[in-house]
Amino acid sequence: MGNPDNRRVAFLRAAAARTGVLVRQVVPWRELAAGTVTLARRTLVRVDSPGEDAEVDRLLRGATAPARHGEIVGLRAWYRGLRAALTRLAEAADRADALLLSPPDDVLIMFDKGACHAHLAAAGVPVPPALPAPGGYAELRAAMRAAGWARVFVKPAHGSSASGVLALQVAQGRVRATTPVELAAGGALYNSLRVRTYTDERAIASIVDRLAADGLHVERWFPKAGLAGRVVDLRVLVVAGRATHVVVRSSRTPMTNLHLGNGRGDLAQLRTAAGERAYRSALDTACQAASCFPGSVQVAVDLMFGPGWARHAVAEVNAFGDLLPGVLSAQGRDTYTEQLVALRTFAPGVACAT
Amino acid sequence: MTINEHVTVFAGLPVAAFPSDEPTPDADAVAWRISGDWDTTIEEFGNLFETFLSTVDAAAVRALIIGDWGNSYETTAPIELVASAASRLPRLRALFLGEMTYEECEISWIKQGDVTAVLDAYPDLEIFRVRGAEGLRLSPVRHGALRELAFESGGLPGEVVRAVGECDLPALTHLELWLGTDEYGGDATVDDLAPILAGTRLPALTYLGIRDAEISDQVAAAIAAAPVVARLSTLDLSLGVLTDTGVIALLGGQPLVHLQRLDVHHHFLSAELAARLTSELGEAGVDVDVSDPQDPEGEDGHRYVAVAE
Repeated sequence: MGNPDNRRVAFLRAAAARTGVLVRQVVPWRELAAGTVTLARRTLVRVDSPGEDAEVDRLLRGATAPARHGEIVGLRAWYRGLRAALTRLAEAADRADALLLSPPDDVLIMFDKGACHAHLAAAGVPVPPALPAPGGYAELRAAMRAAGWARVFVKPAHGSSASGVLALQVAQGRVRATTPVELAAGGALYNSLRVRTYTDERAIASIVDRLAADGLHVERWFPKAGLAGRVVDLRVLVVAGRATHVVVRSSRTPMTNLHLGNGRGDLAQLRTAAGERAYRSALDTACQAASCFPGSVQVAVDLMFGPGWARHAVAEVNAFGDLLPGVLSAQGRDTYTEQLVALRTFAPGVACAT
Repeated sequence: MTINEHVTVFAGLPVAAFPSDEPTPDADAVAWRISGDWDTTIEEFGNLFETFLSTVDAAAVRALIIGDWGNSYETTAPIELVASAASRLPRLRALFLGEMTYEECEISWIKQGDVTAVLDAYPDLEIFRVRGAEGLRLSPVRHGALRELAFESGGLPGEVVRAVGECDLPALTHLELWLGTDEYGGDATVDDLAPILAGTRLPALTYLGIRDAEISDQVAAAIAAAPVVARLSTLDLSLGVLTDTGVIALLGGQPLVHLQRLDVHHHFLSAELAARLTSELGEAGVDVDVSDPQDPEGEDGHRYVAVAE
């Protein structure tokens, strides 16, 4: 299940060729987004990202026109469309006696940040504390005051990567938002590749209000560790219960997402700085987070260390976070090959281990 | 650029966190970093500090770093707490107050207070470094032991700069002022620097850093004729908004060939002027750092200091 022209599919095909796995069919997201699909009988179905395809995005949102490039629009409608599409996919899988390697329920939780946060917290996974979803900027500020929090991350409930995310801080009568969101004339919001800072409260309020219409998730800003002059966190890919691929994401801004021009950091250097015990403990937490989605063959966990390395917390869990070109596991396998190898022994619900 | 990582060495000693799961080092072998967590209250920090004093051999402690005291953008630095511990820290020689990263509290929001109390309480202190300048105050003091004084900020108040100029610091070899921008309260002028540049009260000075300054060009022009320069081995104008204008003034002023080091990294010089600076002084044996060049035209017409937030 994917966008056939996307490199994700190309990477999977290459890995399949290497491991001798037969790719029976690539079911285009456009088909599923538009209606029902038929799956080959008794197959394993990898569910990959619907992203990077304007038409799929339009179909999922049920909109008449595609979004303008980079525009943040219709996230709630997109999520509803995703839910409906994945429900159809689950029905198709039932009909074909096929196994979805990312069960719809898992994917839907991961694309609902509030639900995902609650799901992880309930399982005892360390996550930053969250506020009840605010309906707008005024409510957000009131909730921050009530909680005594001056610094928060404001995230669209159904966004992916750093799309629409604001690092917001308020103190001493000042307010500052650091974000890749660009506020266009007329109030439209765009994701840009440049992280910028807003200090004009009206602009910040108008961004938050607009995003809030499609749902927000707000967490207290967990300060992240620094390394080699940059803010860092980890993307940990957990495949069938094992933390197999780890990438250090490093940034000069609070947003560490790699598409924002941020670089990969030096993992060996991070392990030295953190100490092996703190590092292993963080990987254990990544596995614990992944085990909250036992039907998913892979889950990508974004994990933050505190400034002294002793503490860590999970920032995000991603259903489609396995696009990590060039990153190899201890066995020398890329993320796609690793998953195909794991399928030989994968049983949904497998216990977690590092 | 923001400050994104903690120092790992302070006062020549490796930094050890308190509290920590690691084995406890000898109290005099490390620089102790006492820091709260992101949700620490100032009361909890006070308890943590007391725990530190009663857990390690406080009488042997030489260097102390105060990190995040909890909501440091709203709560004033625990200056009295540190000052009142002076009798229990008789060997303390180095103190860093407010060593936080951007992720913990950005530099221009760190709430400092009147740090004179620290200098009064620790007459043997040799190194005093302060990060953040919101609410920062200093009264002119005489301090016979202080060798290194540094104020890191995104905007250093002119009042503080004037107070530094009025201090008698006979042993001071290293003076470092991050002037920042007026956007964050950095309203110091070149006139405020005049007593420092005259050097009358700073007879031992060998390092002068006027860093992270929006007014780097004016500072450079003033330094070109400043009496204090003759006794310096290092002149540090890094992290600021130094342009060709400032360097032309600097090169047209008094000789600088006695310097061991001239640091202007993070500058807005043209390639020609950067090369001229390097060749004219480099040939005379000065180690010139012109790394981290910024676009001379700035970003959208603005030239930014390296550390403001």
